[in-house]
Amino acid sequence: MEILQVQNLCKTYGKGETQVNALKNVSFNLEKGEFCAVVGESGSGKSTLLNCIGALDLPTSGRISIDGNDLFTMNEEARTIFRRRNIGFIFQSFQLVAELNVEQNIAFPLLLDYRRPDPAAIEEMLDILGLADRRRHLPNQLSGGQQQRVAIGRALITRPKLILADEPTGNLDSRNSQEVMDLLMKASRHYQQTILMITHNNNLAMSADRVFRVSDGCLTDLRHDTKREGFRDEKLS
Amino acid sequence: MKNYLELVPLYTKAHRKQNRMSVFCIFLSVFLVTTIFGMADMYIRSMILKTKREDGNWHIAVSRISDEEAALIGARPEVKAISCYGTLNYRLDQGYTIDDKDVVICGADESYLTQIYPDTIAEGAFPKTADEILVSGNVKKELGLTLGDTLVIRDGNGTGHPYTISAFAADLPMVLSKDIYGVFMNTSGFRTFYPGVENGTPDDYSSLFLIQFRSHRNIRGTINDIKTQFHLPDDQVGEQAMLLGLLGQSDEGNQFMMVIYSAAAILSVLVLTAGILMIASSLNSNIAGRTEFFGMLRCVGATPKQIMRLVYREAISLCTCAMPASIIAGMIVVWVLCAVLRALSPMYFADMPAFAVSLPGIVSGIVIGILTVLLASRAPARKAARVSPLTAVTGGAVRSAPVRRAASTALCKVDTALGIHHAMAGRKNFLLVVSSFALSIILFLSFSTTVDFMKHAIKALSPWSPDISIVSTDNTCSVDRSLLSALQEHPAVKRAYGRMFAYDLPAAVNGQEHTVMLISYEAKQFAWAEKYLVDGSLKDVQTQAGTALIVTAAQYNNHSTIQTGDTVTLTIAGQPAEITITGAVSECPFNTATGNIIICSEDTFTQLTGAGDYTIIDIQLNRKATDDDVEGIRALAGSDHTFSDQRLDKQSILGANYAFKLFIYGFLVLIALVTICNIINCVAMSVEARMKQYGCLRAIGLSDRQLTRMIIAETSAYAVTGGICGVLLGLLLNSKLFELLVTGRWGEPWSIPLAELGIITGIMILSVILAIRGPVRKIHTMSIVDTLHAGINS
Repeated sequence: MEILQVQNLCKTYGKGETQVNALKNVSFNLEKGEFCAVVGESGSGKSTLLNCIGALDLPTSGRISIDGNDLFTMNEEARTIFRRRNIGFIFQSFQLVAELNVEQNIAFPLLLDYRRPDPAAIEEMLDILGLADRRRHLPNQLSGGQQQRVAIGRALITRPKLILADEPTGNLDSRNSQEVMDLLMKASRHYQQTILMITHNNNLAMSADRVFRVSDGCLTDLRHDTKREGFRDEKLS
Repeated sequence: MKNYLELVPLYTKAHRKQNRMSVFCIFLSVFLVTTIFGMADMYIRSMILKTKREDGNWHIAVSRISDEEAALIGARPEVKAISCYGTLNYRLDQGYTIDDKDVVICGADESYLTQIYPDTIAEGAFPKTADEILVSGNVKKELGLTLGDTLVIRDGNGTGHPYTISAFAADLPMVLSKDIYGVFMNTSGFRTFYPGVENGTPDDYSSLFLIQFRSHRNIRGTINDIKTQFHLPDDQVGEQAMLLGLLGQSDEGNQFMMVIYSAAAILSVLVLTAGILMIASSLNSNIAGRTEFFGMLRCVGATPKQIMRLVYREAISLCTCAMPASIIAGMIVVWVLCAVLRALSPMYFADMPAFAVSLPGIVSGIVIGILTVLLASRAPARKAARVSPLTAVTGGAVRSAPVRRAASTALCKVDTALGIHHAMAGRKNFLLVVSSFALSIILFLSFSTTVDFMKHAIKALSPWSPDISIVSTDNTCSVDRSLLSALQEHPAVKRAYGRMFAYDLPAAVNGQEHTVMLISYEAKQFAWAEKYLVDGSLKDVQTQAGTALIVTAAQYNNHSTIQTGDTVTLTIAGQPAEITITGAVSECPFNTATGNIIICSEDTFTQLTGAGDYTIIDIQLNRKATDDDVEGIRALAGSDHTFSDQRLDKQSILGANYAFKLFIYGFLVLIALVTICNIINCVAMSVEARMKQYGCLRAIGLSDRQLTRMIIAETSAYAVTGGICGVLLGLLLNSKLFELLVTGRWGEPWSIPLAELGIITGIMILSVILAIRGPVRKIHTMSIVDTLHAGINS
């Protein structure tokens, strides 16, 4: 079942001589439960792609639909609510709400939806994240790895169909990076969620089901099974 | 770049947008201080001009001294002018007349009309010899005389004294309103003319000496010195209290002026504090939001001291950026107000300079600007200097205050909870913003007491105030009714209305004896009385014969027992006549020392008294009426009645009113505007500082509506807390100032100023709406990615 459909996506910044084509006719689909990595040089258009898919930014042209819903035919309010309920975000710099504790941060998307968080669901999430004993801590009382785990919890709590992660391990050491990735994979498998992750780390990209390379605004589907040698060969070449 | 401090102008140039709000804050507070002090300075100057013109440019009046002592005082270097001054027939009770009209005779030295009352001589020269006189301008108009003509003054015995006219004076308010003549003689001429005294002391000629000092700096010291030198007790030295008060030289024993000074001091401190708080809150959030930048400088080798120097230099550079504009803007506002004052009352304020520079305004603006900026940047500079280089570059120190407590999402929705938490997270910032909001309210409520003061201190012009009154000379109903019709048809007359008076009528009511004054009103006067109706109906009195209104104002009849519904039995020409009281008014244009005032219709008055003509006809002139028109009306009225020309008195009251209202309401409007701008700026700064956070929240799923609610909650937290503190403290100060300025002098008790509270609350709500609208609209039009980047780049 296709969760994400991207068709002829273009994004252009500026005009005239300063015009930059950040994305050029990008098209691809993602299946439910797929774990997909996006690689590419800095400034190649990876983050622009992620921002457009997450409806954080408006594409110049093209179509994006998530679970059959065209993102850009909705008005801003409806799009925000759709994003809140169907897309989970994980940022490199965590972006936790400093004024909320661990439990509140995880429940934040539910609170924004004016829903009463289910204590059992929160408890389960805290257990999965290994943060049960830190539930009352504020973000500034946590390590980087713990903060990113909270961010993952926040992204997962609404059981979104799609999780977008922008270099989720970029600010973490190797041990924390592995922990976070394991957690992300585990959660994705557990909840059957589709994950699209930007990374610069080849090893992490290798653990994905699919890998896209973005180069100069163009997207190439490197392969479906990154565990084969081809990706390594392609990356090294 | 030769010095690291040169980074400041480069950084300021690159971050103009970010600094714009701090610059605006400094602009606002320096503008507030400059304008308020400048306006106060101009008000004092305008009142000094008015007082000098109306009451004379003298500071003390010394009585019961000899001419020799006066000469010694006059020789003192501090004394600029001294003049002997005496009057005859001042109360019009000594029988001196010119052409059968009462005349007031003044004897003075030439300096009286050149230094103390300059611009009084309209034509000719001050009398040089004892047989020359200066006469009031109306003598020229009414008797058709010219310079060099002979004029006879008759004394109480009817003996004529011929004098040669050496000069004519400009119009004198007292002379015109009392319909009399005025004469000035020189001192020797006056003493020769003075009856029954030869070679007497100045006191024997009812004369005293008016003294004008050269410098205004130490008048009190000079007065005390003169008192000591000439052994003068206090009762021999009178002071021109108003002028001395305006010059800041009031006697410490002058309680009222001391009260005014202390009220002015309280208000000045409030204005200064408002300025300081506004700048402090702006700099605090500006500098605290950039600790990351200072941390980066620490990383590359800047010492904490260098960071502090950088912060100070930057604050000064912001200050120099904002200050010239704010001082110029303040001065322009002052010029505009002075121009308005000149246009409204050219008679008194024509001498106000067109482009007056108010040194107190400019100096206070500069001092407040620089001092506040330096003081306000101390704490953030220290904070920036303390930041560890490591935490600074990792972004850990970006937040101005570390979060210590989680927001409470249990009590309210998460967006509202976060908004409130944002406001209260930084305790110092919260305190500064709340104090600055509260101070705006305190300022408004404190300054509003000056409006009450104005209402009591300056007699307002009533709608019935006439320009000219034609009054029966013997207070009987002797002014022909047909004159009123003729006056009403005169093209220069806007409105004319008559009243009949019956004085000191014996009256009995409820078994008690009273004395009453019966007055008739026509339709227009009844319409004016409508505003003061406290009981009953005006219509009944106008339409039903034998009915009347009682005036209930305490100052007119302290012990009156006459009430609505009573029947009063009047004794008129020995015959009893009954009148029923069907209503009560709280105010009327007349005063009676004893007894009650009863107002009835003209028909009732005629029925009761048999009189059909008026005691007084009041005339209000058209705006374009000229002196020739007034002379035409005088001719129409004839010479059998007193022709009281009150235009100059009216001008004087209007002038004082215009000046006071212009400056007082100017202060209030300015405070209101600064409040609005300050709140808008505070909210804009707060939103700007959280732009990145808003971007993240929007990415997570915060809708625009929720973001708006969050900003409303944050702004409301400031406004409500500031409002409560401001209202409580403002009311306290309002009551204290009211007691000082009003209750202490006029006895009126303080009551909660509901209207002012309503206005300032309205202004606060309007400010909050305006403050929220801008940033919310801006965020709505920005994409989430832009919002994120705006925060990151700032």
